[in-house]
Amino acid sequence: MAQRAVWLISHESGTPLGGIVKFSRRYPTVEKRAKVFNGASYVPVPEDGPFLKALLFELRLLDDEKDFLESRDSCSHINKTSIYGVPVGGEELWPVVAFLKNGMIYACVPLVEQTLSPRPPLISISGISQGFELLFGVQDFLSSGQKTDSELNTKLSQLSDLLLQTCPFGTLLDANLQNSLDSINSASVTHLQKQPAWKTGTYKGKPQVSISITEKVNSMQYDKQEIADTWQVVGVVTCKCDLEGSMPNVTISLSLPTNGSPLQDILVHPCVTSLDSAILTSSSIDAMDDSAFSGPYKFPLTPPLESFNLCYYTSQVPVPPILGFYQVKEEEVQLKITVNLKLHESVKNSFEFCEAHIPFYNRGPITHVEYKASFGQLEVFREKSLLVWIIGQKFPKSMEISLSGTITFGAKNHEKQPFDQICIGGTAYLKLHFRILDYTLTGCYVDQHSVQVFASGKPKISTYRKLISSDYYIWNSKAPAPVTYGSLLL
Amino acid sequence: MGPLGRETWAQRLGTFRASPSAFMAGPEGEDLGRDLLSDLRSEKLSEPMKVALLALSLEYPDQLWPDAPAAEAAATSLLDTLVLLPPRPSALRRPLLLAATTALAAGGALNPASGASGRLLPLLLGLASGRDLGRSFCPASEQRPLQATAWECLRELESCRPGLLGGCLGLLRALLGREGPAQPLSLLLALALRNALVIQARAGAGLQGLLTAGESSMEGGPWNWMLAEEGEVHLQPQAPSWPAAEEDECGLAALELSPEEARELRATVAQLLDASYLLTPVAQAQLLWLLGWALRGLRGQPPVLFKPQLVRLLGTAQLTLLHAMLALKAAFGEALFTAQDEALLLRRLTLAAQHPALPLPTHLFYLHCLLNFPENWPLGPTGEEAAPLLLGSQLCRGLLPSLLHEPMALLARLHLLCLLCVEDEEKEGKGQDRSPRHYLEELLAGLRQRAALDGGPRALATLCFQASYLVAHCLAGQPVVLIPLTQGLAQLYRARPALAPHFVDLLDHVGPELQEPLRVALRQEVASRPGREEALRWHLQMLASVADGDAQSATLSFLRAAAAHCTDWGLQQALLRVCRALLRAGVGGGLADLLQELARQLEDPDGQDHARLYYILLAHLAGPKLGVALGPSLAAPALASSLVAENQGFAAALMVQEAPAPIRLSVGPRRAEGAVPVLRLQVEVLEPVYSLELRFRVEGQLYAPLGAVHVPCLCPGRPTRPLLLPLQPRRPAPARLAVRALYSTPSGLTCHAHLPPLLVAFADLFLPFPQPPEGAQLDFFEELWDSCLPKGTESRLWCPLGPEGLEALVSRHLEPFVVVAQPRCTFFPARSRLTGPRRWGASSPQPSVWVVTD
Repeated sequence: MAQRAVWLISHESGTPLGGIVKFSRRYPTVEKRAKVFNGASYVPVPEDGPFLKALLFELRLLDDEKDFLESRDSCSHINKTSIYGVPVGGEELWPVVAFLKNGMIYACVPLVEQTLSPRPPLISISGISQGFELLFGVQDFLSSGQKTDSELNTKLSQLSDLLLQTCPFGTLLDANLQNSLDSINSASVTHLQKQPAWKTGTYKGKPQVSISITEKVNSMQYDKQEIADTWQVVGVVTCKCDLEGSMPNVTISLSLPTNGSPLQDILVHPCVTSLDSAILTSSSIDAMDDSAFSGPYKFPLTPPLESFNLCYYTSQVPVPPILGFYQVKEEEVQLKITVNLKLHESVKNSFEFCEAHIPFYNRGPITHVEYKASFGQLEVFREKSLLVWIIGQKFPKSMEISLSGTITFGAKNHEKQPFDQICIGGTAYLKLHFRILDYTLTGCYVDQHSVQVFASGKPKISTYRKLISSDYYIWNSKAPAPVTYGSLLL
Repeated sequence: MGPLGRETWAQRLGTFRASPSAFMAGPEGEDLGRDLLSDLRSEKLSEPMKVALLALSLEYPDQLWPDAPAAEAAATSLLDTLVLLPPRPSALRRPLLLAATTALAAGGALNPASGASGRLLPLLLGLASGRDLGRSFCPASEQRPLQATAWECLRELESCRPGLLGGCLGLLRALLGREGPAQPLSLLLALALRNALVIQARAGAGLQGLLTAGESSMEGGPWNWMLAEEGEVHLQPQAPSWPAAEEDECGLAALELSPEEARELRATVAQLLDASYLLTPVAQAQLLWLLGWALRGLRGQPPVLFKPQLVRLLGTAQLTLLHAMLALKAAFGEALFTAQDEALLLRRLTLAAQHPALPLPTHLFYLHCLLNFPENWPLGPTGEEAAPLLLGSQLCRGLLPSLLHEPMALLARLHLLCLLCVEDEEKEGKGQDRSPRHYLEELLAGLRQRAALDGGPRALATLCFQASYLVAHCLAGQPVVLIPLTQGLAQLYRARPALAPHFVDLLDHVGPELQEPLRVALRQEVASRPGREEALRWHLQMLASVADGDAQSATLSFLRAAAAHCTDWGLQQALLRVCRALLRAGVGGGLADLLQELARQLEDPDGQDHARLYYILLAHLAGPKLGVALGPSLAAPALASSLVAENQGFAAALMVQEAPAPIRLSVGPRRAEGAVPVLRLQVEVLEPVYSLELRFRVEGQLYAPLGAVHVPCLCPGRPTRPLLLPLQPRRPAPARLAVRALYSTPSGLTCHAHLPPLLVAFADLFLPFPQPPEGAQLDFFEELWDSCLPKGTESRLWCPLGPEGLEALVSRHLEPFVVVAQPRCTFFPARSRLTGPRRWGASSPQPSVWVVTD
């Protein structure tokens, strides 16, 4: 379950090497075991330079795509997981866990405690999930808070010390690197008896509990007879419990109003101590019926010090918050578009913002736009071939708005205009971006009185809610559109 | 050399990290390890720089101290540095402990004879167990972090040297019950327990009270290396707790535990599991893997102990925890998971594989787990990916691919969809419009549409061909899927001929079910094109791959039309490659005309030469030989240059090859064949052999020159008539015949081989003698003897015999000619009439032989 080596590589396309190794760490004691366990099939961990080159090639991140290369493009070279065999020095280093996230490649090589030929199935290698967890931990650490390059560099420079704490010999002790950083900084904290390893100290101060529910709604709307529209709510409940004592007990309940949509597919944080079987079994896989468990959803837990995601859920609300249709007709060099959007009456009509982005791919730049909008303003980004319809904070009383227009395009220039692999021919979409504060689509809320805290002092409890759009697409109903299997089952 | 400055070290470390091997090969490489150790004690260097030096030693001990003595010396030096630190807070203590541990474990110096090991182990155990090491060692504020570090060091040492802490099990158990950090202690105890069980099982011993030994067991006295010594012998791949592994590989079944030991073991495991909620999720997962390993296959240890933990774990989103649970499932199967539990686990896994809150790599790993799910009662063959029985199409609905997915997710889900299509087909499709198969077809069509996009990224094309390959692989037996796939691919080629290399690659990899129809469809697609397009080079590349003996006229007329547009060398070569493919496929008449035309018409002399060469080959070589001459060279399969490969191909085909003989020759039983002695040769072949010529030669002038034997064709397993080799002995003497074979292989090569020599015995040189009537041998011999006498001469000779005696001599050389055994009467039939009957007396030491010759 140990790792032989870890790398962080920034992917920089256009540079000669295609990337820079920002951080690497090898574990020689694990390497020694690998040599014994893998026997004749042992392949040593290479130096950074060769590894960088081979990994970028394997991940198809080198810019040179012009020619067909069998070792990369062969139809039989199929990868179905983020685990690769990386060719180095005539041999193949396997398994290499690697993924790209926000321009950074996270990679590690887990120890396999047996021979590699024949290759054992990934599921039987304990180091795979441990490797993922390490990389996710590093990713969380790097992406938390910082946005600028210098902040990122500071975090990268801390990484060496952090891994010395959380992964001194290649076996991960805690995926939460921030925790370790806190514990380095507060080395004098006195540990109490039976202190959990995931809690690096104790809180001193005014007790308070903050719980926020964020729901994201996605949707695919086609406005077609044979294809069903789909939409889904994905919720996350984030908590921060500032409570004294080494292991305070807290119970948080999520409640639904009488017409609320049941929560499904609930995944909880490991600090939750027990789960009701109804929570465990409520799942979107089953057909919905009225008997579905509708809460309250109780989560007894011993909270860690830091902010954590108590649970994730999905839900199938009866209607999408905004129903729309979008039609595009091509007339020589012009496109005629019509958009209709209708806010459902049950939805809170008070947005932080609401916009419809209407992109045009695989065409030239916009040269001319004529339009008529029943509401809001239209912004035109000519070079990006993009229209943005700014709807604002509120839908009008009728709850229904429309936009129609004619757009003229210039000559196509491959390098400048956006390319899209989906929007071929008449296939086109508009994407809605909106946010509503103090509101959830499922109706899910946390009743302050239902939060039970078994610790000294009466804590202040604050709760927050918001709804955000995410992948909210309305497809051109006059052309084919990509569908999921679910939308074909009318 | 004095201590290096901060700058120098920073620069050195930078250069080293850029390429350790290059640095070590350079002038500074040799001193690096020594300098590092000495400068750790230098007062000029700051603590952060020393930490950086130690960090280097944690990563590259092999380069710094390449052998065990160097590692031992380094560890000693590191321990000395640690002891000499002044008793104020220092950031060096932790990394020094880690570095000394790493040096010993990675350098192979961890053993009873090592002084550093003898110092480090008690130090670590003392720190870990919180025993007072004297105030001078470290200030109170550092004690907790050092304690945790010491536990980790011990765990690493136990990992590298299983059994090292076997003697401490009792102590570890006692400590777990007390205050202090639970995580490092739990993990170490679980690891040491697992290792002790494995080692003792191999030794056929019980736990021998290790769990109850108490704290005193390790106090004072030397370190107990007993278990580690046993373990060292067996440091070998561990049996994974996975069903694919052989049951007895685990070997724990051999462990005999007394009821008391079993009870203690159970108590220890329960104690570990009860405290597991104090561990971080990743550590909990490690604990579960270790305990699963420890208890798997162990008699009298029911896995129900794990049960209370499972519900809690089942609800989490944590990858490691769900993975550990699958490991327990694989290890214990029905003993821990009832059918209902299995269904619930599968549902959670299905849910996690598509949960929008989880990242893509997690989804993909869970999908892999689904297709390799350790079922209680698997139906299919092990080791093959398959959808678990309980995973019905209803459960899978959310896991099916769509064009919006990332390539990897799309392929993983496509695989699942293919498996569903197989099942669906088995259920005799219920006539639904939206069966998985229809969905599959639409998806593939969408992928092809994207791949057809002019100027689109290559990755899209690659994805389309990978998907086609996957479908052809999984659904090879379903023409209902393959027919539209073939048509769709042909259309894709029509839309974007630049994808020709992908098509060639696909044809090379798919099975005949798709390969054959696709080849035909593509050939038609190309041949129907006018030969003057921009895409000509792609058409030619495609045609070189798909052209064969069928539909020659269409192919040839395409080529004829194309030839006029092949103006540059590259196109001409591409055109000639198609001709070459046709030659190999045995296309005759029309091709000869085309080649002649090309030889005249092509502008490039190289092209002309090639056309002419092909024409000559076509005119002069028979089909199979031509195929070999133009086929891929066996001599240099890796060489990519077509010119070299071609040259070698010719050379191989037109020259005689030296080869190990696939022929076995032996001398068969003797029979009268005409007037001269004839060897009857039995021949066996290991592979078909054509136009075999066997040539024989004998040293000296013993026989008249031997003729060659010809056989038109020999096949393995088919009975063959014996080959007859007439001998004309000039002097009757046994001899060795050297044999050479010249033959053609099925692939058309001409080969030459030396066969093992054949032994011709003395007896083989004479005609066999007709059998006299039974019981009348003596009379018969006497009459024969007498009949020779009137004209012939009788002589008598004495000759000395070797130690083997007369009996052996006769039976070795004259056995077939013995007419009567007592007294020995032998008769030699010779070429003309009779060389003579002979008789001799066997009794005297120097036997006398009578000889009559005619």
